[in-house]
Amino acid sequence: MGPDSVPGPAVSWRKVLWERQPFPDNYVDQRFLEELRRNEGIRQYRYWAVVKEAGFVGQQLSCVAIFITLWLYMEQGLLSPEMLLWTSLISGLLGYGLHQVLISQEESSCEPRTRLADLQSATIFLSFTFGFSPVLKTLTESVSTDTVYAMSAVMLLAHLVSFPYAQPSPRGSLSINAALFASVCLASRLPGALHTFAMLSCALLVFALWPCLLQKIREKAPSHFTGVCVGVCIIGVGGLGSQSPGGAILLALALGSVTLLCPLLLVRLQRHKDNIHGPWDEAEIHEDLSRFIH
Amino acid sequence: MVLKIFFPQCCNRADSGLLVGRWITGHDSAVVLAVIHYPFIPSQVKQYVQQMQAQSRVELSVLGSWSLPKEGQEGMESFLRDLSTIFPQERWLQISRQMGKMGFTCQVLDRDQNGKVVQRAVKKEKKEVKDDNEGEEEQEEKEEEEEKVIFIHYEQRKVMLSELHRIENGIPAPKADPPSELSQMFETVANSQPLFFMDKYDDGPLKSTHWQSEGREASIIVELLKQASVPLCLLISWMLSIWTWICNLRIFSLYPVRFLSSKLSTCVQLSYRTEHMRALCSPKAAAGHTQFMRKANILVSFLVDVALGVLLMSWLYRDDHITALANTLVPAADHVAKELEELLQWLMGAPAGLKMNRALDQVLGRFFLYHIHLWISYIHLMSPFIEGILWYGGLSACLGLTFALSLLSDMVALLTFHIYCFYVYGARLYCLKIYGLSSLWRLFRGKKWNVLRQRVDSCSYDLDQLFIGTLLFTVLLFLLPTTALYYLVFTLLRLVVVLFQGVIHLSVDFINSFPLFAVGLRICRSYRLADGVKFRVLCDEPGTCLHLLMEINPLKCSTVVQTYRTPTYSCYPKDSWAALIKKLFVGELIYPWKHKSTKTE
Repeated sequence: MGPDSVPGPAVSWRKVLWERQPFPDNYVDQRFLEELRRNEGIRQYRYWAVVKEAGFVGQQLSCVAIFITLWLYMEQGLLSPEMLLWTSLISGLLGYGLHQVLISQEESSCEPRTRLADLQSATIFLSFTFGFSPVLKTLTESVSTDTVYAMSAVMLLAHLVSFPYAQPSPRGSLSINAALFASVCLASRLPGALHTFAMLSCALLVFALWPCLLQKIREKAPSHFTGVCVGVCIIGVGGLGSQSPGGAILLALALGSVTLLCPLLLVRLQRHKDNIHGPWDEAEIHEDLSRFIH
Repeated sequence: MVLKIFFPQCCNRADSGLLVGRWITGHDSAVVLAVIHYPFIPSQVKQYVQQMQAQSRVELSVLGSWSLPKEGQEGMESFLRDLSTIFPQERWLQISRQMGKMGFTCQVLDRDQNGKVVQRAVKKEKKEVKDDNEGEEEQEEKEEEEEKVIFIHYEQRKVMLSELHRIENGIPAPKADPPSELSQMFETVANSQPLFFMDKYDDGPLKSTHWQSEGREASIIVELLKQASVPLCLLISWMLSIWTWICNLRIFSLYPVRFLSSKLSTCVQLSYRTEHMRALCSPKAAAGHTQFMRKANILVSFLVDVALGVLLMSWLYRDDHITALANTLVPAADHVAKELEELLQWLMGAPAGLKMNRALDQVLGRFFLYHIHLWISYIHLMSPFIEGILWYGGLSACLGLTFALSLLSDMVALLTFHIYCFYVYGARLYCLKIYGLSSLWRLFRGKKWNVLRQRVDSCSYDLDQLFIGTLLFTVLLFLLPTTALYYLVFTLLRLVVVLFQGVIHLSVDFINSFPLFAVGLRICRSYRLADGVKFRVLCDEPGTCLHLLMEINPLKCSTVVQTYRTPTYSCYPKDSWAALIKKLFVGELIYPWKHKSTKTE
């Protein structure tokens, strides 16, 4: 149908404008919009699969809660820095062992880091942190407590938001840096230089090394991954509950909404999707260009 | 076609005779320079004209005839008309004037191809070209012709002495452009000076009327000065060459000495004055108007400078002023040091309620306090010698006020050297911190500066890089207020000193470069610096030609100053305000007064 009801002559209309045709320029025939496709490439989500993936987000939230719990204990003097240091060291070694076991299971040809390089990194971390801890301790002396708390909260939030949940292999610099900044701010509030050192080592463990291990577990043993996530969430809620019940309740609510409610919303709202595609979309290159590399 | 004839005012009442002058090429005009009176011998006139042409290099020729018939000279008309045959010219002017009437009448005779003298053809509305006309019948044509000749009267002496400046949009135009009619006319009159030397009381074969000088200078003193000036110039040039040779000795080209002498403004001023004196005392006479003005300006400003310096000296060495100055100098330095110490103590506390990092604060504060202590010891060590230094330094004022001011600026720089040091320390620390912070901020976001492409790119860092980078970022960020405050305080102090030095330098520069002679000339003899001309209508009667009076329009004072400024190492601010503030913010060292090197001609 055209916009003006002119019956078409014997010549058929072609969808070109560079030829003079007996039709007006804005004429369309009955094949209008036949190339329109709706909701192409839409995925069907299954609820429990999404819940399993969302567990990762909840797990990270609980990690932050665990860190804050440890800091609260240190600040109140209930946890001594030496104890924390030893615990971190041991769990670090355990984690490292597990990591190496998981790595040896794969036969990929990419260059593995040698044990020597790992030892070197660890030495650098520890010596640097130990050397700088007196300086770090006096950093926020003159800043008021509220400011410190606010800064740390903002930074931890930034860490959670920018964490690379889907693909941890390009390392998310902003998330790690934000978490470390927040931990430095909090650690400088503690009463001694050793406290600061212990807190920073713990932060390194929790925010930098733990996601690596988790990623390996997720790749190699997906069934165990879910169990680990659930375990971490429970520990987080429990730890926070020992310090402040209100916080524990809030955390539980947050975990519940992230892990259970949001996937439900996602699945339910899929049916309201209405995307249209057609030949007017931008071209996507589907060719495999790797043949030019070899 | 309008014919313009430039006629000197002194010849308005001249006796009848021949007009000598020049046709201006390319334009339809003629400049009349002199009138040679009857009786004369034509061959002598031709010889004289050729001699003058050789001397003055102006294309002189006999333009025509002039007749102002007095009683008993009625028959001159035809005689003067016949002269056109004796002096072969392309065009022959016949200008005549009646006693008692203002206007002139003019006839123009042309030569056609046959060599006969013809009247100028007049284009009427019918556009007929009439050749072959003899002079008699054209009463009406003569009237039409007289309308098309304009007489422009000029005062010969003023035009001879004046210099026409070609200024377009405030910038002096280059001389390479095809010279305009006016500039050609001015040049003609200025170059025809040999023509004007013939005095009316001379006993020569020719008598002429033109501008006469009042008589050559006969004063003995002026003659003696003129005679003495050449050996004096030679002597001064010889002394200057010895001085330059001493300055160029190898021992002075060593790096520290050369560096110091380029920084001390006294040495710079000394070298600058040497240049001036050398330009002034060169034995060659000034070639051209610009050179002459340059030399005159240098001489006058030098004399004024020395006079002011001698005035300063007479004040300084009278009534023990030097001792009084020396006695106030050391207590003033002490006072400044004490003020600085109090400032540092304030900074080491909690200044203005700002949150400073205590440890860093103490470190920086103690460091600067120790410096001040060193400085005060130095001042006390020097205090016995200060009076002597001031006494000998004051002697330098006899070379000019500019030297005394430069010496003052150097002494201020030396006395506030500790402020300069503090500023450099603070600025370097701050700059390093800002640089580190910006780089680590990029690391914080996971980006890197791509030096090749000059842009910020994303980059995947290793874990240890990230860790150490974040720690350092935190440290630098929290130490920023402390460093920034110290930097701010010392920058402000340094800016005060720089401002003071800048004022001194500006005044020195002003004395050096202001063209006093040119301004004086503009005020007293304004016709010598001409910007252009203006015309006033003298006589516009219908039966005669149009008469205009040309008056010289002098240059504006601001243009005079701009054109004749002596090029100096003018101190002007190197950076614009925005660039300066940006540099202050980033922590780059600022040297706001740039010394431009003198332009070589």
